[in-house]
Amino acid sequence: MTTTKILLAATAISLLMVGCAQKKNVDTTSGQFGDNTTLDGAYTTIPEGYEDNTGHYDNVDPYGSGDYGSNGEYANNGGYADGSKGYGNGSNGYANGAGGIQNVYFGVDQYAITSEKLSTISHNANLIRDDIRSGAKLKIEGHCDATGSDEYNYALGLRRAKAAKDAMVSNGIASDSISLMSMGESSPACTSSTSAECYAKNRRVEFKVFQ
Amino acid sequence: MRYILFFLLTLNLYSYDAVLNIEKDVESKATLSLVEDTVTAGASSNHPKMFKLLLNDIKMSGHFVVDETLRRAPFANGMLPVELHDREYILKYAYNRAGTNLQVKLVRVADNNVMYQNNYSVNTSARYPFLAHNAIVEVNNALGYEDISWMKRNIIFSKYTSSRKSEIWIADYTLNFASVLVRGGLNLFPKWANPNQSAFYYTSYNETLPTLYKVSMSSGSREKIATSQGMLVASDVSADGSKVLLTMAPNGQPDIYEMDVNSGSKQRLTTFRGIDVNGKYLADESRIAFVSDRTGRANIYTKSIGSSSVSKAAHYGNNNSSCDASGHNLLYTVKEGGANNVYLGSASSSYVRPLTSSGNNKLPRFSTNGKVILYIKSNGGSNSIGYLNLATNQSALFSMQSGKIQSIDW
Repeated sequence: MTTTKILLAATAISLLMVGCAQKKNVDTTSGQFGDNTTLDGAYTTIPEGYEDNTGHYDNVDPYGSGDYGSNGEYANNGGYADGSKGYGNGSNGYANGAGGIQNVYFGVDQYAITSEKLSTISHNANLIRDDIRSGAKLKIEGHCDATGSDEYNYALGLRRAKAAKDAMVSNGIASDSISLMSMGESSPACTSSTSAECYAKNRRVEFKVFQ
Repeated sequence: MRYILFFLLTLNLYSYDAVLNIEKDVESKATLSLVEDTVTAGASSNHPKMFKLLLNDIKMSGHFVVDETLRRAPFANGMLPVELHDREYILKYAYNRAGTNLQVKLVRVADNNVMYQNNYSVNTSARYPFLAHNAIVEVNNALGYEDISWMKRNIIFSKYTSSRKSEIWIADYTLNFASVLVRGGLNLFPKWANPNQSAFYYTSYNETLPTLYKVSMSSGSREKIATSQGMLVASDVSADGSKVLLTMAPNGQPDIYEMDVNSGSKQRLTTFRGIDVNGKYLADESRIAFVSDRTGRANIYTKSIGSSSVSKAAHYGNNNSSCDASGHNLLYTVKEGGANNVYLGSASSSYVRPLTSSGNNKLPRFSTNGKVILYIKSNGGSNSIGYLNLATNQSALFSMQSGKIQSIDW
């Protein structure tokens, strides 16, 4: 079980503490910052030992494993983040791949279930329908590639999951048996590169059945 | 052992790699030299770092031409190095052996008059960068220059560490102080809960539903604020901390809500059947800026709270997936081919100014006074936190070599 810990040093925290997109009216005269990569010579003469950063992490977990804050540690209840409830693809007798539950993939910035995705939805619905009628639950997770802001991506992933839910409901899966979760870009299927092929694998919804 | 290994692995994650680009004319700036106390000089490994921190802060203020040579003289008496007699000011400092106290004394060279002096302390030596930041802010203020209090603020950010795992960190603006606040599972979107940074919000993905918590910095106590199916983000907090703009999706539909902190009541502000996220208060907080895909791609819009009409606010680019606001000014990102750049705009005019010109630049954030901009610059697997001072046209990058930054606030 993952444990979430709030690490707070109470005494240390007094806290020092609508138009078209056109490139018109762009002010390029009032101080370009450029690429911020101009090296200042001052930093080529940093005193000996300065750049090693030794000591920056002196206070990581300064109180050991739990003696911090008034409420101590906060337990992770085994929720969606780590899949520790024991469900997930393959965990309920459904194999991944052509014969099992299949992911649905999306184009860049897209969240519509287009006609070519309907066969995958129908396939998944047929595979799990009896179990859902027997009381199993379906969680649909929406995922994104790493382009765009994370807040937008969590919304985009949710819209993908919502679109998949609507399609599953149209295929006879009870709406109240389905929960939605967006994972944004936090759980990429492909991490080997930032290529278009890799990103395409990350723009997906996953279907997870659990009792 | 676990923590020892973690420590070893992270020794070099944050490097002090400040690069300053000074463009303002130097004629209007005061000349200043730093002089370290001979008694405590070199007493710890942090002592040379203190000189660099002070030097960096003075540069970032944009108000001084600073001597980059480290000089030493007794702090207690009035002696000044003879070679500095052509300077306007000398800032003498004594950083104590324990690393928790800094004395500063600003001397006007012309008449040897002490213009300002003070004594700063922190409760733990790990927070020693704040000694420098606090001192330079007050020295700057003592001379009547434009306020630079943004240097004193704590930065809070979430970074991914592996699949479905992230940590929330607190740091000073240079990253010389950095410490974990929340570890374990998926913890996202940290946001300061008030102007004095005495509490913060964050979203935990470690419960059955995404859950918004508020954490007190003084006690460490954690309060559950809200839950929502699908997603939940504290996008912005009103100036007095009494209201929060949330992105939540109780029915799978991401929309912007305004929550009253005291009562917990929520008012839905957007109703578009697509994506509305990233709400930011504008000016008197009767209007908001936000990101929406209502024209098919992410763009920035504004609306009055209580009104159904919206106006497009980003006048450059057709893919703007994040924004920030200060007064009527806007910051937003523009996807330009393979690059992401930060632009300055206005919610009340068509003003557009590019702030970066290449690379992958994201998550722009205004300082509290709206004069300095923080952003994340990514290059491959590494990140830097960048600063752009709109008042002085100075910029700086502090590299941060591990973990993808998920969200940041300061």
